[in-house]
Amino acid sequence: MTVAELDRAAAAGPLLPVDIGHEAYAAVTDPNTAFWALVDKTRIAESTAAGSPLAESFREKADSFARELHALRFALTPSGVYLNPTERCNLNCTYCYLPGQQRSEGQHMSESKLIESLGKLREYFRSVMPEGRQERKPRAIFHGAEPLMNKRAVFAAIEEFGNDFAFGVQTNGTLLDDEAVDFLTSRNVSIGLSLDGPVAGITDATRRTWGGKSVHDKVLTAMDKLKGYGSWSVITTCTTENLPYLTQMVELFHAHEVPTCMLNTLRCTLPGARTVKPADGDMAQAFFAALDRSHELYKQTGRKLLVANFANILLAILAPTARRLMCDISPCGGGRAFFALAADGSLYPCSEFIGLPRFNGGNLLDAGGVETALKSDAFRIVTARNVDQFAPCNDCTIRHFCGSPCPAEAHEMNGGMDKIGAFCEFYKEQVNYALRLIADGKANDYLWDGWDEGTDTTFLMQ
Amino acid sequence: MSQTVQTQTNPAAQSTAPAAAPTIAIRKSCNPDGIGLSHYVLMDKKAAK
Repeated sequence: MTVAELDRAAAAGPLLPVDIGHEAYAAVTDPNTAFWALVDKTRIAESTAAGSPLAESFREKADSFARELHALRFALTPSGVYLNPTERCNLNCTYCYLPGQQRSEGQHMSESKLIESLGKLREYFRSVMPEGRQERKPRAIFHGAEPLMNKRAVFAAIEEFGNDFAFGVQTNGTLLDDEAVDFLTSRNVSIGLSLDGPVAGITDATRRTWGGKSVHDKVLTAMDKLKGYGSWSVITTCTTENLPYLTQMVELFHAHEVPTCMLNTLRCTLPGARTVKPADGDMAQAFFAALDRSHELYKQTGRKLLVANFANILLAILAPTARRLMCDISPCGGGRAFFALAADGSLYPCSEFIGLPRFNGGNLLDAGGVETALKSDAFRIVTARNVDQFAPCNDCTIRHFCGSPCPAEAHEMNGGMDKIGAFCEFYKEQVNYALRLIADGKANDYLWDGWDEGTDTTFLMQ
Repeated sequence: MSQTVQTQTNPAAQSTAPAAAPTIAIRKSCNPDGIGLSHYVLMDKKAAK
């Protein structure tokens, strides 16, 4: 049998109990279909027995849930590209996934090559994005390294292809002057910044220039320039250095009217990052305190600060296909929902792999381009990583809410694609926290207003 | 020293089991188009239009 057939054969399996630490509720899940329910924790057997309303309703839907999850996991075609227009960065962050030599001495992609590359990418996306859904443009995200180190080429590309792609820029914010903000916001480019501390002393522990200078105040200035814009966000990378200050980060972001942030676990792909890796339990404690604070601020002011990486876990539970982030799913989005273009024209499943030559899938401008890369062994080793097929994930009740990110760090830090990611226990705690919020009727407070517009309700008991 | 704890039985409590917490299960579905990753996210699809 194929993996797909095995998945479907296993649909409607027994509902497995999960202690979520709630006073009244336990979760039951069918891991194969990512189905879940919250039941009275003192009546689990009765609630899930054959013939019970829950068991019968699930049995009727199990096959369609299995098909839905299978399509999400194995049948997507790319709809986005991450563009690295330069190898260079003006910062030397402790945990960067790109090798230091590239960032300090690397090359820019020339304007003409970037334009040529986007032309080829437009041709590719037109071939795979279905007709009749043209309101949805492919996404093209500049990031890196620091994309605004090559601002002229980036802006020329946005100008040239503004009708063909929905553009985004993830930047450290240090080069985001008034002119750049005007250019990007007037073209509805989504802008992401990075800030690691509520005060300079904390940010500086992991994010400084090559000469050791602080950039904290420059990022705050950039945040002020973006206040009121509809499409911007800030990423905080959580490390041992800033973990005690996550609640203050949330307060700072809320005060600056940041609409969306991510409080990310750092990626441990390269050894430097592992020097500031927090323990799972510490990460969970600080992260939940920050989420609790974001909720208090929402209740006090009526204004939400969306913590996107947590919102995505909620989405994975409530509406698996509505996920916005494609890290927390297996296989991850790398090489199938999106791919990355390096500054030298090479294609990688995800930018996280750019420092690892064995994951180079070939050059965009060579014959075959994207199609050849997607079929390459370099991509297939990533797209074949499947939590159903290796321990301990294959026995985990929440494996399709988590996906065991990230393949790059599993491979580099833990020794292979059949290894777990760097924050297994943290993910379990996150899922429990999310399920507790659902039990308490608070989940919508952690999602953007109207998040379920355009969705169909396929199961409802409450 | 031993201590005997006497318990009193409330007849009303004995015959009334606590109400079960109602089962909660929700699943929604849509066309998937997420492409975010930990280096970048755009949560609200409308913001990209």
